[in-house]
This record gives sequence, C-alpha cells and structure tokens, in this order.
Amino acid sequence: MSESLADLKLDIKKLIIITLGIDQVDPKDVDDEKPLFGGDNALTLDSVDAIEIIMAIQRTYGIRIADQNTARQVIGSINSIARFISEQQSNST
Amino acid sequence: MIIENFNHKMAAHCESGTITSLLNHGGLNITEPMVFGIASGIFFGYFHKMKSFAFPTFIVRNKPGQMRINIEKRLGVRFKTYDFKDPVKGQQTLDLLLHQNRPTAAQVDFFYMDYVPSWERVHINVHFLVVAGKENNRYIISDAYFPKMVELDAVSLEKGRFAAGNMSPKGFIFHLDKLPSEIDYHKAITKGIKKACFYMLSIPIPFLGIKGMRMFAKKVVEWPQFARDTEHLSHEIMKINILLEDQGTGGAGFRFMYATFLQQAAAMISKPELKELSGELMEIGDGWREISLFSARIGKNRDLGPAKLKQLSEMIYDRADVEERFFKSLSRVIK
Repeated sequence: MSESLADLKLDIKKLIIITLGIDQVDPKDVDDEKPLFGGDNALTLDSVDAIEIIMAIQRTYGIRIADQNTARQVIGSINSIARFISEQQSNST
Repeated sequence: MIIENFNHKMAAHCESGTITSLLNHGGLNITEPMVFGIASGIFFGYFHKMKSFAFPTFIVRNKPGQMRINIEKRLGVRFKTYDFKDPVKGQQTLDLLLHQNRPTAAQVDFFYMDYVPSWERVHINVHFLVVAGKENNRYIISDAYFPKMVELDAVSLEKGRFAAGNMSPKGFIFHLDKLPSEIDYHKAITKGIKKACFYMLSIPIPFLGIKGMRMFAKKVVEWPQFARDTEHLSHEIMKINILLEDQGTGGAGFRFMYATFLQQAAAMISKPELKELSGELMEIGDGWREISLFSARIGKNRDLGPAKLKQLSEMIYDRADVEERFFKSLSRVIK
C-alpha cells in the first residue's frame, strides 16, 4: 500500500535520525526543501553520512541508488529523496 | 562558438563518459556501461608498497587511457591523439580542432577545474572532459560529473592540461577520427568480457584481480603500521569509501556499472545468462557498498582497533570469494 507523500517525508526524516543516531533532532524541525548538506537545515550532514543514508534507503525501501551522481541529487533534500522513492515505487508497480 | 549538435550528458565516470560522449556525437548510439564493458573497465589491484603511493591503496578499474585503446581495438573506431611539450602549441591545436567543429577530449588535473567547488578539488592528473567550444577566451566544457556544460578560462585549462607530477597529462587530447561502417558487437562484447575475466582470474601477478583482493584483505590489518597517527589512519580507512563510491565509479567500485553492461549485453547478443549474472553482480556490489559503509563508519568514529580491521579484512575476503565464483561463471557463459 502506498503512503501519502507527507507520511513518506516524515518516515524519511525518522529514518535519517535513527540511522545517524541523532535523536536530539525532532523530525518536525527538519525542512523539506532546505539542503541536507552544508546548509542551515535542522539536519546537517557530511559526506560520510551520505553512504549511511543511501544504504538505509536501499534497505528500507528496496530500491538501489547506484550511481553517485544520482545519489548526490537524490539526497540533496527531504523532498528530492521522497520524489525519488515515489518514482521508483511507481515504476516497479 | 559551441560545437553544433553537441549534446552534454552526465556520466558515472569521466573517462568512459568522455569516450561515450565523443562516440555519440559521431553518430554511434552506445551507452556508457556498454563502453565500460567492451573496454574491460572492471578490475581490481592492490598496491601495498609502491613508490608512487604514499600509503597502501587499491584500484577498481583498468589503468587510465586503457579504455580508449580497448574501445578502438574492439569497435574498430579510431581516435586521433595528441600530446605536447609546448603549452602554446597545445592550445593552438585545441583551438584549431574546435574551429573544425570537433569536440575534443582532454586529460587534465582536476584541481584546476575552477567550476568545481574549491572544497571538492583535489590533484588528480587523470580527469577527462570534453572541450565543446570557446567563447571570449573561455572554453565550453562538457564535464561528465556536472549536470550542465560549464565555462573555464584558458589559463586554468592550460594549467590543468600541463600539470606536473605522477601521470601528468602533457597536454593530451583526442577526438573521434573515424567510425567503422559496421560494428560486430557480438565479437566486441565477447572479447571485452573474456579479457575482464582474464584480468580478474588469471593474470599472474599477485596483487591484481581476485589475488589482489585477497592481498588487500590480508594486508589491511597492517595499515596502522603505515599511519602517522589515528587521524591519518582514519583518513585512509575512510578513503576506501571514496575510492569505491565517490570517484566516478558508478557505485560499489564499478560493479553496478558492469552489471548494467551485462544486462544490456544479454539483450544485444541474445545471451540471457548474462542477465542473471548481472543480477548477481548487483548483489555483489551491495556487499562492496557494505564495505564502504563500514569503512566510513569506523573511520569517522576513530574505531580502528584490531578487531574492527579484522572484520573489514573478512568482508574483503568474502568479496574475493564471491567475485571469484562470479567471474568463473561469467567466463563459462562467454566461452
């Protein structure tokens, strides 16, 4: 069953927080559009976090982000991650 | 002027992407994974003590420049190559080729590509890009790692083309000279796979191919001996992640790109077994990605005790075992 985009975004935020062990961050404080890397979002990540997130998305949603150029674009923001997951899920159905 | 009908495309890797771009512009409809596979790009080598490396390291593709040579041999295409001692002559020749409407690939030191954010720039003398035009003394660059074409001033391009050091570019440029009227893809794919299997399974050098993977697994536990301190060791361990994931490898040390090649090859030469092997290699790639993740994590946390390095070693031994089985199956299929 597909979840709504808002639910998906919340789930992604929770997944990132759990994966990186940063439970002091409240998912509600994470902006959907602001960059996750090098910006002023409540979640600010570094390049080492990127591989953690890619693997977590892969495991949780059963989709592969193989190419790092794609990965760089996908994990830019919560919105771009949600968009990618939705597209991949609709392609596989 | 920008070369007419030149289409910029992003690619996973600079060299295979550049070759693909020139071939596509010349009218050959071929994908980057197909170029990579036919060129036997997949490889492994471990360098424990070598003059040219300050610290043990490894490679996951064949040597820079070899893809172009292999593509020429196997597809029957011809690239015209030039290198120079004199930067002035190097620039004049490049300008002349652009004037002749020829997109021209150049080897450069990545550090001088000032369209790249400064924090991402490192000295790598084997970065490839396509020069696709020149306007107001600024070159129009098609760099496979960027979503759009970019501009670069003439001085920066010259610095990049004539950088000194290991594998210095010496102004090296090349362009497509001739496409054959027909290409025997069956032969090219078969030859590309056979050679890759040879390199991975049978090359009689102890640090290359699967043997190299096992040497990496054995020696990684000794890396603390080479490190100045924990910071240095953590940097080198985290570099495993960079070498596998973040240097234009297409993910998992080129394993995902080679898997895509096998999938495309299965359809092109009607060998469904290659499609099955493609799926297998994707899973093998996931295992390399676990190694990337593990290395990034222990490096970042400075958790680099003997138990963790032993765990890393075991993960690499495991990849060697599965890749040995995979390449044996591949060589049987392509016999």
